Amino acid sequence: MVLDVTARNLAEKDPEKQVMFSVQEKYFEIGRDLQNRMRYGAWQIKEIVDLTLQPMQTRREQYLINFDTDVEEVEIEASLSYFISGKKGDVVYSIKEKLTYDLD
Amino acid sequence: MKQIQRLMPLLLGTLLAFLPASLSAMEKQADTIDELLEMFDESSCMECHEEIHDAWSKSWHAQAVVSSLGGMHNFIVIGLAKEWETPLTKAQIMKCLDCHAPVVKYASEDLAVKIGEMIVTAFKEKGKPAGDSAKKELARLNVGCLSCHNIKATEVARGFNGPAEKGMIYGPKGEDAEDAHETLEAVDITRSSFCMQCHGIYKSADGETIQCNTLSGSYQDTYVAMGGSKTCQDCHMKKGHLFPGGHDLDTVKEGLGFEVQINSYQHLPGQIKNVKDPKRWVPSAVVNVFIENKAGHRVPDG
Repeated sequence: MVLDVTARNLAEKDPEKQVMFSVQEKYFEIGRDLQNRMRYGAWQIKEIVDLTLQPMQTRREQYLINFDTDVEEVEIEASLSYFISGKKGDVVYSIKEKLTYDLD
Repeated sequence: MKQIQRLMPLLLGTLLAFLPASLSAMEKQADTIDELLEMFDESSCMECHEEIHDAWSKSWHAQAVVSSLGGMHNFIVIGLAKEWETPLTKAQIMKCLDCHAPVVKYASEDLAVKIGEMIVTAFKEKGKPAGDSAKKELARLNVGCLSCHNIKATEVARGFNGPAEKGMIYGPKGEDAEDAHETLEAVDITRSSFCMQCHGIYKSADGETIQCNTLSGSYQDTYVAMGGSKTCQDCHMKKGHLFPGGHDLDTVKEGLGFEVQINSYQHLPGQIKNVKDPKRWVPSAVVNVFIENKAGHRVPDG
């Protein structure tokens, strides 16, 4: 499970320069053997380090983002993706919001 | 008393003489996959339960062996052969197949080992004739009708229930199926503990723990402990025997809440470094993301 939060400067035409802020949170289990080594094999894993989302609980992530003084319009996107395996991921939710700043 | 003592060896001898025969009659073992599937013939189930069969055939239970070839191959080739330096035996491969294909419990030692070798071939020789042929044969093994409605049906409370009766269909209601089969009501099949036989940390007969997933621990120790009362079946049988889970986006969506709150503001001039004009207000935002786990277990699960 991966949360991506990105802020883009909409006035910037170059897509590579558009991203002003980007963060990624990963929620997963680390399987480990009895020597505390990370393992993938079901027969090797004896304990876990639990970095998952817990049932009956709401996880809150908070970011304070400062942009440059000439940024007028920002698009913030937050998306949550679920990876059934390391390779295949699906976006479960994605929310975009546009912010406008009065620079005068 | 002395008479009993004198008779004891005779009694024991008689018992021992009959024991192997009675055991073999009870636990007939198949030497081929055909024979195994004949012993647990599910071909007629769909005649009356077509809709259920259709849903099941699209489920991951229907491909419980062929969808997990990589993991099982690694267990045999890396786990058994390299790390444990242990030969492939029925007892070892049952650490996978007791859940991925419970019917293999009734395979002979030779057949179980052969199935293990086929798993290795199917994975290693993927796309080649030998691999494709092995995979096709292995696709006949799965978590089928009788895996739950007979073989595993009494296992949660084996001491109380005893072993599953041959030919008996265990169901949640025990409804009469006329001449098709005998049915016995088994409340077990409606309970989370039934699914937890496989969907959690598996303890094999020799005590080894196999950690394919950790759902049951999370369900019991967190969800139930926090007051949750839904069963596995409440959520994962909403689409019947399709058993949707992590592979189904609708189910994943249902298990997660997602809310984003954004506060935009202008930060005090002079406080933020590396901006173009330190005398100006700094466009800023506070982004709060709330992710609610509405499932009855940790998300994601290992």
